[in-house]
Amino acid sequence: MALKDIKPTRSELISLKRKIKLSERGYNILKMKRDGLILEFFKVLEVAKNSRGALLESYEQANAIIAVANTVEGAIGVRAAAMSVGETPEITLDQKNIMGVVVPDIKSTAVCKSLDRRGYGVLGTSAVIDETATAFEELVEAIIEAAEIETTMKRLLNEIESTKRRVNALEFKVIPELTEAASFIKMRLDEMEREELFRLKKIKAKSQA
Amino acid sequence: MAEVVNRGPGSYIYATTRMRVRKIKLVPREDYLRMLNMSLPEITRFIEETQYKAEIDELSSSFSGIDLMEVALSWNLAKEYQKVLDITPGILKEFTQNYLRRWDIQNVLNILRGKTQGLSSGKIKAVLIPAGGLDKDLLDSLLNEDSPERVVDALKGTGFSSLLGEEFPAAQESGSFARLENELYKQYFADLIVAAKSGVKGGVAFLEYIRFEIDIRNIQTLFRLKTGRVSDVRDMMIEGGSFTVEELQRLAGTESIDDLIDAVKSRVRVAPLDALLNEVRENMSIHEIENRLTCVMLEQMEKLSKRHPFSICPILVYLKKKRYEVENLRALARGKESNIPSERIQDYLVM
Repeated sequence: MALKDIKPTRSELISLKRKIKLSERGYNILKMKRDGLILEFFKVLEVAKNSRGALLESYEQANAIIAVANTVEGAIGVRAAAMSVGETPEITLDQKNIMGVVVPDIKSTAVCKSLDRRGYGVLGTSAVIDETATAFEELVEAIIEAAEIETTMKRLLNEIESTKRRVNALEFKVIPELTEAASFIKMRLDEMEREELFRLKKIKAKSQA
Repeated sequence: MAEVVNRGPGSYIYATTRMRVRKIKLVPREDYLRMLNMSLPEITRFIEETQYKAEIDELSSSFSGIDLMEVALSWNLAKEYQKVLDITPGILKEFTQNYLRRWDIQNVLNILRGKTQGLSSGKIKAVLIPAGGLDKDLLDSLLNEDSPERVVDALKGTGFSSLLGEEFPAAQESGSFARLENELYKQYFADLIVAAKSGVKGGVAFLEYIRFEIDIRNIQTLFRLKTGRVSDVRDMMIEGGSFTVEELQRLAGTESIDDLIDAVKSRVRVAPLDALLNEVRENMSIHEIENRLTCVMLEQMEKLSKRHPFSICPILVYLKKKRYEVENLRALARGKESNIPSERIQDYLVM
């Protein structure tokens, strides 16, 4: 706000004082929100580290077991077993709120299935197919969990970033400018008061003379 | 023209001698051990220099790399089985056809599953191995059918029609062919028992083997289901072995794998199987157990074929050994491709 645009009136000063008060209150609340979000972020970060580790572990395990399955059953056998899967996993996407940030709440069904619900017959396949199916089911579960946690983390980070920008804007731009404008008006008003006093004194002196 | 049904001893001597000659040509154990120390290109060259060359050359325009080798091995297996069917006369042929029906089951199920999932004919064809009684032309005609229902209709008159008629609607409704698959394999073993009792030479001995195979399959399935925490195993057990289905259900109800091993051991009379069950306790994975059980099964079959040299047994031993040769070569190539250590690949070989 350029100082030349400011009307040095008392009402403007009152309104500026109100704005300063509001900005300072907003600044304090946003600062608390930022600190809260950072705390939440570190909590989620810890879970995310574990889930990322679990995901990598599941991925490596699934890759190792599919290599064994290709070795034992051949790619033809593995592809034929994969054709048996009739039931596809269902994923429901809900929302939850962390300090005003809407984050996803992913729930999955029919990912990990028991041996008799996988769609292939036990008598026509071998145990390595079971182990492969289990490894990949666990991988899908780990992916879903990691997706939820990492999206939460990204949204929290975005929110922390925007809150930080707001806090900084209030701290270094809005509040100083408003304070400067208020002190300018105050100074102007004081000056105007002094001018008025001086003028009155002059008039009085003239009238007495 | 008069029909020639060769039931005399000559047909057995001819067929079993040819099988013995073919068996000698199979890759020996020493070669597998040598191949374990070879690199993938060396294994590929080794395979190309053997009887698989024709298939590799034939398929090289459609496939490449390790897939070419796997498909060529499967095609060679299918071709070899068809040749065996041509060589075996009369009642031996019927019996061999019955024995090879497991490939038909596998192919029919793959077609039905592929059609149900709306896969293209090309994708379904890639997983078919025409090593059974249903030849390439029939499988091609099944692939060209529009829907799984039409595939079932086209199979009328084959050995599957009655079971497919009973089980297919339920399978299609539930979207799972697991029960149908299990029932088809159960019927396959039941038919084998009937065929073994039909008067084929060596049939009685073979019946003993079939029962042993059923027992091994049931034990393998029990281990799998125990690991998969399935409590009701009745539908997945094959009848006709030395364990009744109720007995197997009781075994499945045991507290732990160790209890299951103890219970099976108390009923088993075959020495190598007894020894294997002792080893199983030492933290063996389920597929390792399966592999070792298969080795025991082959060993028993080999013994049987030596005890009955001019019977159906040598033919079936050759069919089994040929299958495991293909599986071993594939395992070596795939294992090397995936950088699996040689010691682990050796565990997956049936030698």
